[in-house]
Amino acid sequence: MSEIVLEGTGLTRQYGGFRALDDVSIMVRRGEIRGLIGPNGAGKSTLIDVLSGRGAFSRGTVKLEGRDISGLNARQRRLAGLARSFQRTNIFGDLTVGEQVHLAARAAEAENAGEVMEALALAPLADRRAADVSYGDQRRLDLALALVGRPRVLLLDEPAAGLTMQESLTLAALLRDLAQRWQVTVLIVEHDMDVIFAICSSLTVLHLGRILVEGPPEQVRVMPEVVTAYLGSSVA
Amino acid sequence: MKMRVLLPLLFAAAGALLPGLVGSTLLMTLLTQAVINAMLATGVGFMVRQNGMVSFGHAGFFGLAAYIVALCTTNHVVTAEFAVLLAVALPMLLAFLLGLAILRIAGVAFSMLTLAVAQSFYELMLRWRELANGDDGMAAELPPRLFGAGIAVFQTPESMFLVCWAALMVVLAGLWLLSRSHFGTLTIAIRENEERARFIGYETLLPRALVYALSAGIAALAGVMFALYNAFVTPDVLYWSLSGEALVMAVIGGTKAIWGPALGAVIFFLFKDVAGDLTEHWPAIIGGTLIVVTVLLPRGASGSLLALVERLGVRR
Repeated sequence: MSEIVLEGTGLTRQYGGFRALDDVSIMVRRGEIRGLIGPNGAGKSTLIDVLSGRGAFSRGTVKLEGRDISGLNARQRRLAGLARSFQRTNIFGDLTVGEQVHLAARAAEAENAGEVMEALALAPLADRRAADVSYGDQRRLDLALALVGRPRVLLLDEPAAGLTMQESLTLAALLRDLAQRWQVTVLIVEHDMDVIFAICSSLTVLHLGRILVEGPPEQVRVMPEVVTAYLGSSVA
Repeated sequence: MKMRVLLPLLFAAAGALLPGLVGSTLLMTLLTQAVINAMLATGVGFMVRQNGMVSFGHAGFFGLAAYIVALCTTNHVVTAEFAVLLAVALPMLLAFLLGLAILRIAGVAFSMLTLAVAQSFYELMLRWRELANGDDGMAAELPPRLFGAGIAVFQTPESMFLVCWAALMVVLAGLWLLSRSHFGTLTIAIRENEERARFIGYETLLPRALVYALSAGIAALAGVMFALYNAFVTPDVLYWSLSGEALVMAVIGGTKAIWGPALGAVIFFLFKDVAGDLTEHWPAIIGGTLIVVTVLLPRGASGSLLALVERLGVRR
């Protein structure tokens, strides 16, 4: 069994009287691509926010490779090796594609900006203003900004949102390939079950801020309560 | 040589020839004042361009610098040369420290805070008569020589125009180089998406405070030139209307290009003079023109010029 690289323990996030996360504990092992699924409002994005340092949490701890990073801000967590992408495309519209990937590489003291752009088919767009490239290209750019510097853990919040089915599957294949090639552990939130089942080695199902079930995709997808409540009968 | 380098050099040289070509002292006086205002507008525009934030208080740094020159030279606190350096450095330091506190506040609230700070300087100079002679203003007792040049160089329109023009060209060249550096790219990234900048690993407050300090320093340099040229300052140089005018200049010129606000200042100053000859209600003409420019040329005069140059196929 490989070592735990990311560990959240007893994570609780309260908005007024509503608990978006209720005593959630999650352990992600090195090399794993873990899917985080559940209906809207289950707390998936909140969990990603809490782990990445975007949202404060009321209780709990976050550890990266055994080091407690609960007190670190988003920037410090990124430099410690925990990167993320966003549900909505989150890039620098007025910079060129190349400028911003190099900017991210410089922050991470990495020299793999060119390699990342090649891998994500962004190299031909290097001199284009990011706001002017297609939506699909912007999604890959968002991913490139997170991947550059080879983080140890990558948190992805709906990377395929807004993409066509073909684009989503291409992205899924690319993600699986890059995660293996660059040894990046991935925790991915995604509504597109084709993407989830194509790349994930394990799944965590969230419901109303609590973990309902965890396990390999082939087991999770046949659990009656999961099929009925979250996945829909068509995927079973 | 590329056009993007050749054109500015030609422009800078053409400006330097103006005193020899313009026979009217009145027009040279006007042009000198326009270049001083261009420097102030460049500071305001740089803040908008790099930080995406609007300051209504740059007259505070302009006027503070002018008063530092006047107070230091009149009271013989330090040498005039040191007073000039102090007049640029102190507003920069003040803006940096102030920026660390107020740049966390976004939008209109930030603009109002800058306005409040500048107005507090205005009130200070207005009411502290023992220090600065209130609304009567005060003269700057400048020495016969400054930085090795006779003081007349700084007070004669033709020569002062050249001093101000050279300073403006150096500032514009410096800002252009800065905009092409890592710092320039980083500050544009922060302007575009501060949260993402943090998530790729950057501290975001410090670069924004440095931009604010730099823009304040440029406004302060304009204030120094104003004080040297006029050798007299009144609280009007700290008043909010000057900050507003500088912002109007930046809007007219556009902030996409670093030189846009400076162009806007020259247009504004000359237009104000022409409109002032036509009617005492010239601010109404300026206001109407601003509305037309904002609607028809949202990128300002510089943006429209660049678009025209691109359309003509000239490599920038």
